[in-house]
Amino acid sequence: MTSLLELVVRLALWLLLAPLLPGVVNKVKAWAAGRTGPPVLQLYYDLSRLWGKSVVMSGLASPGLVAGPAIAWVALVAAAMLLPLGPAGGALSFSGDVLLLVALLAAARFCTAWAAMEAGSAFGGMGAAREVSFAVLSEAALITAILSLSVQTGSVVLDGMLSLSSGPGAVLLAAGLFCVLLAENCRVPFDDPNTHLELTMIHEAMALDHSGPPLAVILHGASVKLLIFAVLVSEAVLPLGRLPATEAAAALAASVAFVTVGVGLVESLLARLAFRRVPLLLTSAFLLCLFALLLAWKGGAR
Amino acid sequence: MSIGLLLLAALAALGASVVLGRSLPRAWLALSVAGSGAILAAAVVELAGAPEWEWRSAFRIGGEPLHLRLDGLSAIFAALLGAVGALGAIYGREYWSDRHAGGSAPRGRAWWSAMLVSMGFVLLSSNGLHFLIAWESFAISGYFLITLDDRHRGAREAGWLYLASSHAGTLCLFAFFAILAGRTGSWDLGPMHGQPGLAPLFWLAFCGFGVKAGLFPLHIWLPSAHANAPSHVSALMSGVAIKMGIYGLVRFGGWLPLPAAAGWVLMGAGMLTALFGIASAFAQNDLKRLLAYCSVENVGIIAIGVGGAFLGAAHGDAPWGRLLLAGALLHVWSHGLLKSLLFLGAGSVVNATGTREISRLGGLWRPMPWTAAAFCLGAAAISGLPPLNGFVSEWMVFLGLFEAAADRGPCAWAAGPAAIALATAGALAVATFIKAASTAFLGAPRSKAVSGARECGPLMRGPMLALAGASLAAGLAPFALWPALARAVGSWNPRWAGAGPPAPLLPLGAANIALAALLAVAAAWLWRRAHANGLRRGPTWDCGYSAPTPRMQYTGGSFSGIEAGWLSWMLRSGRVRHPPRGLFPADAERIEPVSEAVLARVLEPAGRFVLRLSAGTRRLQHGRLPFYIAYLVGGLAALAALVMIK
Repeated sequence: MTSLLELVVRLALWLLLAPLLPGVVNKVKAWAAGRTGPPVLQLYYDLSRLWGKSVVMSGLASPGLVAGPAIAWVALVAAAMLLPLGPAGGALSFSGDVLLLVALLAAARFCTAWAAMEAGSAFGGMGAAREVSFAVLSEAALITAILSLSVQTGSVVLDGMLSLSSGPGAVLLAAGLFCVLLAENCRVPFDDPNTHLELTMIHEAMALDHSGPPLAVILHGASVKLLIFAVLVSEAVLPLGRLPATEAAAALAASVAFVTVGVGLVESLLARLAFRRVPLLLTSAFLLCLFALLLAWKGGAR
Repeated sequence: MSIGLLLLAALAALGASVVLGRSLPRAWLALSVAGSGAILAAAVVELAGAPEWEWRSAFRIGGEPLHLRLDGLSAIFAALLGAVGALGAIYGREYWSDRHAGGSAPRGRAWWSAMLVSMGFVLLSSNGLHFLIAWESFAISGYFLITLDDRHRGAREAGWLYLASSHAGTLCLFAFFAILAGRTGSWDLGPMHGQPGLAPLFWLAFCGFGVKAGLFPLHIWLPSAHANAPSHVSALMSGVAIKMGIYGLVRFGGWLPLPAAAGWVLMGAGMLTALFGIASAFAQNDLKRLLAYCSVENVGIIAIGVGGAFLGAAHGDAPWGRLLLAGALLHVWSHGLLKSLLFLGAGSVVNATGTREISRLGGLWRPMPWTAAAFCLGAAAISGLPPLNGFVSEWMVFLGLFEAAADRGPCAWAAGPAAIALATAGALAVATFIKAASTAFLGAPRSKAVSGARECGPLMRGPMLALAGASLAAGLAPFALWPALARAVGSWNPRWAGAGPPAPLLPLGAANIALAALLAVAAAWLWRRAHANGLRRGPTWDCGYSAPTPRMQYTGGSFSGIEAGWLSWMLRSGRVRHPPRGLFPADAERIEPVSEAVLARVLEPAGRFVLRLSAGTRRLQHGRLPFYIAYLVGGLAALAALVMIK
């Protein structure tokens, strides 16, 4: 019974807190630009409004236009459930769960891109093509980061890998994973979530032909993904397992808030990269993770 | 029933179907399905725990006594052979029927059964000479199946290339088995760990079986052969035939003493193969060629697992080696089923539209919902996405690599890069299959070819759905497959036998089942919600563009444009341009064919060089008698000089 209760609380925490992050990012951006900006809870309002709206579906689209976002959302939430929450650990923990997490992120990408191709629009194709092409580099960086954590701690379980600090490579790993966070969540300098009708957008281009509840699910899934990466970066760097439970939870929350504000500041201070530069930055992120891996190899805990 | 009886029944049924196949299509179908089913049943009995089946007979072929054996390892491959053989036969009955394919259909039926029989003998033979005979007849029946449609120049050229490279591989195998027989004094095969002098022979086997498996850079024959063969033949070739190369590598890697570098080289080759294969696949615009290159990638993944198992066995039988071998063998099954499914789906598309060009397709989900659903499931599974079978096997390989890397032994130098390569290949596979499936099945029809498309009949649909169901079932209950894998791994390396499941397959299976249930519930719920709120159909919005046409959609080429740009050094596509000219340009054209990197840059220049050399030598042959006499005198003088010096 307690485990069921714990599962429900954990799920509620992820689902309810996630839409806060884009709100915080937008608030930071508004503050940096000297504007008032939208309320922090704006995404919640948007989601509830979209959930009640009717749907306009392209005449070309198959039921996959609706099923794709649903499957992607489930995959992201399942990935979130695997991720340990500081002292609370993960909902399901087994050897190799970290690889399931990576595969779930890939499944979400597959379904989002699939749904983007449904309407047969040029923008959808553009967004999907960019998303999957850049993901090749960011996935290489992500798996290298995970490998370095695994080598550092000698464990292939998320709980074990993330409870210790990543050691001497922590700074490199933090920088690399932060780049992956920006790329995977389509933030500046890889993509600008505020653009519309521009030829350089990625995530927005994929969501253009969606409306109503499916669009709400896509937006909520994107916020869950941002929270997943924020938690992953925080836990990879902080030695939460060495702290008492309350302090660890507080440190995790503070760190997630710090990362979120960081995303907002990056977005305020940097311009979007030219498109041909994107692979360069992602390759740098991969190299950072690779150096973290080498450091872990030579100076790990065991 | 005992394994021997089942195999005898399979031989009888398939042998009869070779003979009857030409004239009696119905009897052929029944017999070949029954024969394949018997092979499958024998393999299942063996994998379920029956003792290893071995049969020695005084009956001699080629002067050697017949010696057959079915152990856990060969049963894994035999099960795949039986399953794909039966389903492909059912599919082929409609796809390559007498009415549809005319005169080549009877030939196709006979060679199909012949190919099944010869592959079965490859798996069973425990005598070097008989192995070679079976291997050669398997290669030749493959050739006749690839060139069934011999009116097409592409099929003839592909068949020739296949035959030539296949024989280059067989040449290595001839040398391998002959030297082996010479060193051991007998053609009989079996474990030979006591003779460390045999280790260097592995390299001959590596080249010979590597050609069949399609390891980079020996894969040159594979894309064109799989693309130009009839689709049920592509399914058999890609699903089962290239696995025979893997079988040979695993089999003789287990029986012979291995050179120290074997695991490293195989793993390195696997990494290169996986990355090269999937990068080339992403750039392809021909649906079947794309699938063929993806087979190259998956052979790379299997080779990484097998190479890791070699390393693990050499480094104190490390448990991760066992996991890698089990993962590789499970991936043999996963890829065999999935690639058959995808090729059958591609065949159904080709049948309905008459084109393999992805950029001419589009919107096929409406006329062909079953094919679209099955192909989409196969695409998701082969991209390694949970909760399907491709994910489970790739996950096992990944986990083995991670454990090897976390060990920080010397093998981590191979395991770490392999894990990174595998992840990159996985992300590229997602991109490749989004491109293939969504361009072909979603959006609006891009050409007239699609307008007349109709869903395929029940005999073609059934096998596809069966394969899709098997892929889902294997993904949801991976722990049910563990005993079979453990048996195969145990028969490869007895020191790995017996221990319980190393991988936490139970929680993974539970997670997969929960995930599948949640996916279905969530999709249904969102669908209902959308309908409850009111769902209208309208034109594609596309940022308010008022008159979108199907030609404005992203094509296969534009989808992979970014990646093709990164890899232009490798895929350097010869651009054929006919740019628009003048104030009122009439027609313009731009074609970007993707080159076959190894064939076009290495093999063809080398071939031209040899030809030039030969043409130069031919000048000596001019028909003037005095010169011939001069040659003779010169030759004699040279010989005399040689003798004098000695």
